[in-house]
Amino acid sequence: MGFFSILVMAAALILILYPIISRGLSAYIFRATSEHRRVQFTEFGIGSAQEIERETAEVTAARQPVFDMIVAHEKDLKAELQEAVDQVHALAAAEGGFLQRSLERRLKRAHADASVEEYLTVLTDVRKSLEGQFDRERFTDVITLITERKQRVEVETKKLTEMKHALRDLLGPLPGDRITELLRSHYGQTRWDRCLHYQDKFLYRYEWDYSNPELSGLKMRTPRVEDFRGTDLEPAFAYVRDNLEAMMQPRLTLYWQFLTTDSRDAHFFGGIWPEVLGTFYLTIGAMLFAIPIGVIAAIYLCEYARPTKTVSLLRSCISTLAGVPSIVFGLFGLAFFLNTISVSESKSVLAGSLTLALMILPTVIRASEEAILAVPFTYKEAALGLGAGRWRTVLTVILPAALPGILTGIVISMGRAAGETAPIIFTAAVSVGLALSPLQTLNSPTPALPWNIYNLCTEHEAVDEIRHVQFGMVFTLVALVLMLNIIAIALRARISRKLRG
Amino acid sequence: MTAVTASSSKKQSLMMSRRAGRMQRLGQILGQSFLFSITSLSAFAVLFIFFFITRDAIPFFMPEAGAFNWENLRQFFSETAWYPSARPGQFGALSLFYGSAMVTLGAILVAVPLGISAAVCLSDVLAFNLRQIVKPVIEILAAIPSVAYGFFALVVFAPLLQNAGGTVLAFGFWIVALPILGIACIIAGQTFAARFPENRRTVAALTATAILGVLSLVLLWLIGGKLSGMSISSGTNAFNVSIILGIMALPTVVSVSEDALQAVGRELREGSYALGATRAETIIKTVMPAAISGILAAVILGVMRAVGETMVVWMASGNAAQIPSPFYNFMEPVRTLTATIAGDMGEADHVTGSERYHVLFALALCLLAFSFIMNLVSEAIVRRSRKKLGKE
Repeated sequence: MGFFSILVMAAALILILYPIISRGLSAYIFRATSEHRRVQFTEFGIGSAQEIERETAEVTAARQPVFDMIVAHEKDLKAELQEAVDQVHALAAAEGGFLQRSLERRLKRAHADASVEEYLTVLTDVRKSLEGQFDRERFTDVITLITERKQRVEVETKKLTEMKHALRDLLGPLPGDRITELLRSHYGQTRWDRCLHYQDKFLYRYEWDYSNPELSGLKMRTPRVEDFRGTDLEPAFAYVRDNLEAMMQPRLTLYWQFLTTDSRDAHFFGGIWPEVLGTFYLTIGAMLFAIPIGVIAAIYLCEYARPTKTVSLLRSCISTLAGVPSIVFGLFGLAFFLNTISVSESKSVLAGSLTLALMILPTVIRASEEAILAVPFTYKEAALGLGAGRWRTVLTVILPAALPGILTGIVISMGRAAGETAPIIFTAAVSVGLALSPLQTLNSPTPALPWNIYNLCTEHEAVDEIRHVQFGMVFTLVALVLMLNIIAIALRARISRKLRG
Repeated sequence: MTAVTASSSKKQSLMMSRRAGRMQRLGQILGQSFLFSITSLSAFAVLFIFFFITRDAIPFFMPEAGAFNWENLRQFFSETAWYPSARPGQFGALSLFYGSAMVTLGAILVAVPLGISAAVCLSDVLAFNLRQIVKPVIEILAAIPSVAYGFFALVVFAPLLQNAGGTVLAFGFWIVALPILGIACIIAGQTFAARFPENRRTVAALTATAILGVLSLVLLWLIGGKLSGMSISSGTNAFNVSIILGIMALPTVVSVSEDALQAVGRELREGSYALGATRAETIIKTVMPAAISGILAAVILGVMRAVGETMVVWMASGNAAQIPSPFYNFMEPVRTLTATIAGDMGEADHVTGSERYHVLFALALCLLAFSFIMNLVSEAIVRRSRKKLGKE
């Protein structure tokens, strides 16, 4: 039973760490497309201009056939509408007079360069004006023709728009698209795995079938090529299916800049530097407050305190502090550090550090106490025997001997401070922000890894799009904390070796 | 120790002038009081936490000075309607208390059996070298940040439960039930065989165990089949959170109860062996009873860890302020105290001083009081056990 539960624990550890590590690493090492390199160059100035230019030319050449097919298909659609337009022209010429003038004026907008959509609006306009005539029976044929053509083309255009949308998601803006402010609409997919996902969405249409009321809806998958059978666009799907690599040029990349660049457009592009730096500041700040207080308290409790009522009360206070839920620390930080003594105007790294320091104080005290108590009594006796004062004994004999143990405790509590979320929600963390300079930490809030992990996976507008960023963040945080713990374990192993001789 | 220092200071005062001696004594007192004041900072921190949480919680129950609002108090503890942003707000926190209790119970159900058996294994069964390998596993489990657990629960475990809930349940059930039933079968077989005469005992034990084993396999198969037919409508529910919280509480339970088991000492164990007890008998009948209070303290600490955890429950419990129906249904989303504080404070923050701001402090006060009492209880237990072990 015991073996079994240890196995379960190990299995749980592996089960939890495996997805975090494997998928988290994929934020750093992945097959990056040409779009990724373009983003890196334009947004962060990484990469060489010629290289990017050459690649862009290659990629554009590979994509061109699809764009050409779209243009050809649109031309076909326009030709169908053109027939109706021609009919109207003929009608106008036959009618003459005011009607001719008004129709010709409307038709002027349907020139050769106009898009299908413009043609459609012109025809709607024309039909309206014809229907408005008091003897509309004379135009019935033309109206029917317009209506019929329009209906057909409208259906086709809808399919085409959907298809273009899917293509845009995959490749980025198509030629002739208007570029919006939103940065994510400037680029296609930067990662090969996302490319494959969007390729699938381009090749297939997904619809929910609710016809069977007993089931909660079935996902239906139909090849999009069905929509375009017999048109110029039909080969485009096979082309995208077979030539996606040439269109995106995926290359296995070590994207270490993920750690050191800041993010663009709500983590769609770029890295996690502000979060990493924020976590770093918070941890260091917390340690700055917690280490001196914690170590001094431990020295007092071990070396000076006599077993009086006050001291035992102190000890219970410390263990109570250790048991306070982390979220309560957060509320306390808000109520005391921010609302009462106002260490800063708004949330700030300082307030967060103070709160975190309070939270890890018991851990630091306990670990230091243990380390000090573990120093053999003979050391102290020898020092006192040589005539050293108490202070001197503590400073020159006991502390150096206990230092590795104290360090172990400190390193472990650093890991705890780095990973804790609840105390910083109300005191230090914001979801979007830039990297701070050390001075700014006194009065401004910061993004921090734990909080932004929460934020990105629950409150982000496109949670599924940036899974790799979330996993990358979790991986970074876990790696940081585990590294600290491994240091601690190694330190302790060294101590125990030394103690055993 | 005091004797040593007193004599040393006497010796020094012999060598120094009176004034220098006085200065030194003054320095010592000042230094000590400095150390004491630094140390008492942590005590002050506890007092301050209690004071400030209470100060901000009181206006919820007492909107005007002296006028106690019984209606609010009654609603808070007895109703389940939690609509803090309604006008007027409804603050029935019963469902939140229930949610916290539910996930804590679930976590304890996961953590305690696993944790205690692992602790027994670590302290009494495993060889020293193996123990050195297992300990880091526990430490790493304890070190993983709660938000990473929450992320796992939300992004990996919840979709798994939602898409393949029945299979996961059946698989988990098999994993847990198989070894338990196996051990039970063997023990039952042995007990049964004890009635037979000496020469047929082994055969009887084997047949009995085999029959029981087949029976329990059939039982397992039936239940597993039933479980795998289940489907879970939402992956973010009390069950998910319970499992993850249980894993998070495991390291605490293991390390504290292992300490307790270690503290039992060699003498008791050797005494038991000397009387002819087997290792299993020694563990179950001697070591465990002696360490029971320490194990209890471990369970309490595990409870505290589960109750106070915020991120996992906030991310993966579904955050629906309701009492599931039926009340033992772990497959429904719940909402806990901690998640409510974390989730609602963002909005309430803008209206510092409003009723919905203060009610969150009232929730925090309940949490604080609970953890304080639990802490006192566990301390008392540990003290008592230490006294007991000291006497024996």
